[in-house]
Amino acid sequence: MPERILVVDDEPNMLRLLKTILMDKTGYEVTTTNNPLEVSKLLQEAHYHLVISDLKMPLVDGMDLIDIIKKLEPGLPIIIITAYGTIETAEEAIQKGAYDFITKPFRKETILITIRRALEWKRMQGELAALKKQ
Amino acid sequence: MFKFLRRFLKEEVDETSRLQEQFGHFRRLLTENNQALEIMADMEEKLSGEFLFDTGYLETQAERLVTSVSGMVGELDLLTEGRYAELTAICQGLAQEIGRELAAVPIIPETPFILSLSSLNRELAPAVGSKMANLGEIGNRIGLPVPQGFAITASAYKRFLEGANLTGELEARLSQAPIHDLESLETVSQEIQDLIRRAPVPPDLEDALRRAAQNLPTPWLAVRSSAVGEDTEFSFAGQFATLLNVDAAGLPEHYKEIIASKFTSRAIFYWKYQQFSVNELPMAVGVLAMVPARASGVMFSQDPHAPHNETVLITSVWGLGKYAVDGTISPDLYVISRKEGHAIKQRRVTEKPVALACQAAGGVAPVTLPAKQAAAPSLTDVQARTLTEIALLLEEHFGGPQDIEWTVGEAGNIVILQSRPLRVSTPSFAAAPRERSAEPAVPPLLTFGIRAVGGAAAGRVHLFLHDEDVAGIPPGAVVVAKQPSARLVLAMDRIAAIITEVGSPTDHMTILAREFRIPTLVDVGGATRVLTPGQIVTVDADAARVYPGIVTELLDRQPETDENLRNSSVFQKLRRILKLTSPLNLLDPENSDFRADKCQTLHDLTRFCHEKAMDAMFTPDVERALESSRISRLATDLPLNLFILDLGGGLKVSGQETVTEEDIVSRPFKALLRGFHHPGVSWAGQVAPDLKGFISVFANTMYDMNKGERGLGGKSFAIVTDSYLNFNSRLGYHFGLVDAYISEERNDNYISFQFKGGAAAVQRRERRARLLKQILDEMGFKAQAKGDLVQGRLVKYSQLETEGIMEMAGLLMAFCRQLDLALSSENVLERCLDAFKKEDYSLKCLRPEEATS
Repeated sequence: MPERILVVDDEPNMLRLLKTILMDKTGYEVTTTNNPLEVSKLLQEAHYHLVISDLKMPLVDGMDLIDIIKKLEPGLPIIIITAYGTIETAEEAIQKGAYDFITKPFRKETILITIRRALEWKRMQGELAALKKQ
Repeated sequence: MFKFLRRFLKEEVDETSRLQEQFGHFRRLLTENNQALEIMADMEEKLSGEFLFDTGYLETQAERLVTSVSGMVGELDLLTEGRYAELTAICQGLAQEIGRELAAVPIIPETPFILSLSSLNRELAPAVGSKMANLGEIGNRIGLPVPQGFAITASAYKRFLEGANLTGELEARLSQAPIHDLESLETVSQEIQDLIRRAPVPPDLEDALRRAAQNLPTPWLAVRSSAVGEDTEFSFAGQFATLLNVDAAGLPEHYKEIIASKFTSRAIFYWKYQQFSVNELPMAVGVLAMVPARASGVMFSQDPHAPHNETVLITSVWGLGKYAVDGTISPDLYVISRKEGHAIKQRRVTEKPVALACQAAGGVAPVTLPAKQAAAPSLTDVQARTLTEIALLLEEHFGGPQDIEWTVGEAGNIVILQSRPLRVSTPSFAAAPRERSAEPAVPPLLTFGIRAVGGAAAGRVHLFLHDEDVAGIPPGAVVVAKQPSARLVLAMDRIAAIITEVGSPTDHMTILAREFRIPTLVDVGGATRVLTPGQIVTVDADAARVYPGIVTELLDRQPETDENLRNSSVFQKLRRILKLTSPLNLLDPENSDFRADKCQTLHDLTRFCHEKAMDAMFTPDVERALESSRISRLATDLPLNLFILDLGGGLKVSGQETVTEEDIVSRPFKALLRGFHHPGVSWAGQVAPDLKGFISVFANTMYDMNKGERGLGGKSFAIVTDSYLNFNSRLGYHFGLVDAYISEERNDNYISFQFKGGAAAVQRRERRARLLKQILDEMGFKAQAKGDLVQGRLVKYSQLETEGIMEMAGLLMAFCRQLDLALSSENVLERCLDAFKKEDYSLKCLRPEEATS
């Protein structure tokens, strides 16, 4: 089953480009939304392996989303996209539990590599949990 | 004499402070120049299609760029006391234009409310949305069967919102809506949708809708959204309504229903928080004559998960196509070879117990099928092969794999309902253009340099040594130059690659080369010696390597172009902003068009300000500078009467009447003195002994000399900082001037050199000017000779290189000082040139019998 990624960014243009790149370069299934308010609903409706979210969004920003997602599904890796020059906030996001961050503008390859690493981490967490149960 | 009186009478307003202030302006101008060039280079790089960026990036960079360039304009204004006042207005004008581009929203094209499907093509997408535009293209340009129908344009959408007074109402509601969670957002969405359903369609639009519907051959219609703008389609699509088998008479109501469906919670969120008008994402609507379907389905012109299988995938159900995609039933599947003959590789016929069918009274409903039909294939093999041919035709026409909706009518006729690009997955990370698997087999000629513009290209080496030779660059040439030259832009439409011995990824030329996507390597020392004219080479700018011959594996590995990225609105915005930013129109400082009022872009402004700032520093008001109270005399064994004014950090000591060469810290000054001290130089002539004599000579000569030459008599005067030198020297009848900045920041580094005068006849002095020009050219300067005046400027070499050249400039000044008297013929000139090249500075060449003995 292909891995499913949820992408959240309030700018539709960015969503479109991210989705296009992910679908062109990988076999992942990608869902996008420009509306961070509906993230909990989307996560409850379907199972995702990774969330990629912009940091700066109206009403619910990337930081809030980390809290929301961690409550719903603690093991779900989150990659935060930040604007250039906001490294401190990005580090704060990591402290809060984001898996990694990537700074805009970024190379297409960079996001692909970050995603692959996050998904591998998720797989290993799963295997670890399975081993512990045994 | 008033100046002298003033000097003694006025308060301690030290000339040094004024010069320090001047230097401060210059220094800040250089910093802003670097900043501006870096931002421009960064933005150009984003045009390569390898990066993802958003409008936030554009806004930040544009603002930083405008700040830097207006900073330069401000500093130049202070440096030149308002000499180029018009630059401020030009800069403000460009800033405003850039602001407009940033804020620009797509304009809704002015069209009639209705456009018949038979008149549509791809180019009309901004008016009718891509779905209807593509369908028009399929019917009119490819000639495949499509239903009859028409589009209700974006212009009609605008008319509807305005005519029903909805624009203001919607925007007011959006701004006041209390949104704090998903529920409240959905409530607002519902309210707005209801508002749209209740609004009256303006009479003129209603009339147009009814007449268009009446012209269709059937009273039953399919009405569907056709979103305008790729982003809209991608972000909000799939959620918009499609109405099947609805009555033509009710079209105005159906139209409103589709428009209302656009106001989803996602769209509401977008409008509310991106501060755009509701007019910004217009909605077009497609109206098609309903085709009562025997069978329908979807096909992919390639297998998205296995493109290498060379197959077309067709799914098919009885009746209307919705059940083929929504999972209600499992559709028949045909896997058909794309190759001639179209062999059916797989035919999976499923049990299809129900079909979605048109109802006589309107609408659609599921119909239970007889067992025999349910189990039968919904397509004949002939139909499946015909569909395959259509899929390949559509793929060829649209230039990529397609996802196609089709239907088979009651009469067995195939009709195409939609075709859109299919996203074909590649195995993950197959395309990583930058990772190199292996080095080409052939050993490279050059293995260093800085990648200024990526990519690879091959061509014949063309040595480009003089700016004026730009017309002689043949098409497809690999241009190899000592220095980057912005004039190359005149040939950039035909150049394959560029290699320069110095330069940086942010210089003027590179910014232009990036715009033309010419693979460019800079800082490739020795390239003009290693590569020979006419030789065929392959330049791999990514790996900073140059190979002999044509290395096809490098040329094949070109980075893919991503059309999606390039067509995106933010990318287009970047492109438009760069049009106001990057092109360089002021190419040649010697050209009469190198004027403030000719600056058309921010790049022009940076170029102009930088050049004029160097000019302003080049000829300081020496007369005023000499009024400074902080001048020290240099104690030196050189036969020079040399006075120094330190503006900061140029000397180890301060306030001393006499300093030694040991006290000098200034990098360019030390380098110049090293040149003066070269053991091969023979100095001659007497110089005046001290400052007193210096001032008296100054007083005696100030009335018969040009300003700038005035005041020095037989003296030399150096204004210095740690990285700066302005050296004025009057040696006998010769007037020499060197102005230089040498630091770790390569972009700031330059040497301006000037030499003129002499006691010999005009012809001999001109001859010396020509000799100097040739030597300066060889050294990497851009030099001109006019009469007995020679001027040259060299920019953007590294610190080490500039210091070396500065030393040579000192040597050259000493070497040529008395030469004018001796240059009796062209032969002597040639001998001197030859001697200098051979590092013989003794001037024995003037006496051929000695030189040859």
